Amino acid sequence: MPIRLTWCLVALLTIPLPLFAAVQDETDVDIQVREIAKTLRCTVCQTENIWESGAPLAQQMRGVIRDRIALGHSTEEIRAYFLSRYGDYILMEPPKHGVNWLIWVAPFLLLLVGGFFLYKEVTHWVRDTPTPPSQPEPPLDDQARKRIERELES
Amino acid sequence: MSKGWQLTLILCLLGLFALFYQGLWGDPRHIPTVLIETDAPNFEGPDVETGQTISLEQFKGKVVLLNFWASWCYECKVEHESILQLHQLFKDNPEFVMLGVNYQDELPDAQKYLKEYGSTFSHVRDLKGQLAIDYGVYGVPETFVIDQQGKIRHKWVGPITGEVYTNITQKVIAPLLKAQPTTTTTS
Repeated sequence: MPIRLTWCLVALLTIPLPLFAAVQDETDVDIQVREIAKTLRCTVCQTENIWESGAPLAQQMRGVIRDRIALGHSTEEIRAYFLSRYGDYILMEPPKHGVNWLIWVAPFLLLLVGGFFLYKEVTHWVRDTPTPPSQPEPPLDDQARKRIERELES
Repeated sequence: MSKGWQLTLILCLLGLFALFYQGLWGDPRHIPTVLIETDAPNFEGPDVETGQTISLEQFKGKVVLLNFWASWCYECKVEHESILQLHQLFKDNPEFVMLGVNYQDELPDAQKYLKEYGSTFSHVRDLKGQLAIDYGVYGVPETFVIDQQGKIRHKWVGPITGEVYTNITQKVIAPLLKAQPTTTTTS
């Protein structure tokens, strides 16, 4: 019993308590900020969203999101605000309208076209490859026959 | 594969290459702006040098040139001489106002910068970055020209030097001051 108790205490002490605190301290506003920030592109880093980016502009944008949530703006209103300032470019996911559809459809289209050409090419190879004429097996000579018999006996 | 199919495939690939060329090799700094011909967002902030409040509202009815800069920005130093020259060119026109916006900077650094490089017009501090975000700014220097009706007529990303200086002074600001309609341009 005392050993078990000691192990329990050791386990409790080794658990990273700040991690627990961080999870517990995350408010609904924090969650909403994170969810919105993840959908917006950092215009400085360009490949990161403003939640993950460490750029000062991304940090300020997160501040703006927080301020607007505090003012009672909805997620869509906040996204629309950033869209009105920076255009479609600010969105991590291109909106599905106009020429943007090409971005969504092109990979599948390429796959389809590529698959079609591959199919055509493979069938072409199969059709044009000459099959070797079937030949009778060569007769077994005496030396080979004796070697096989010897190996079977041993 | 027949020659017809090969040609179709090559044309498709060339088309795709042309389509994505801009995205892959274009200058990523030149993100197309959506703010041209829209109302310039109003702002209010302290003057870098005096601390007095400056707002866009107080310059209503004038042509306003808004130049975003920072003391840590190399290209801002490159354009500084031209910016002062531009102000010198139009400062006597009562219809023209030039404002600097100090972006993501420390106040002592900004004040030192203006002392060192010279300042002939007012500069407002963007304390929380809200002003820059309102104007869709993603780097410095960026320059906006706002017309007498309060609409953004021009945006330029990068230093105002050489041909850019000539274009902004002769083709953007001068026609606006003469109250002539001008073609809207963007970098």
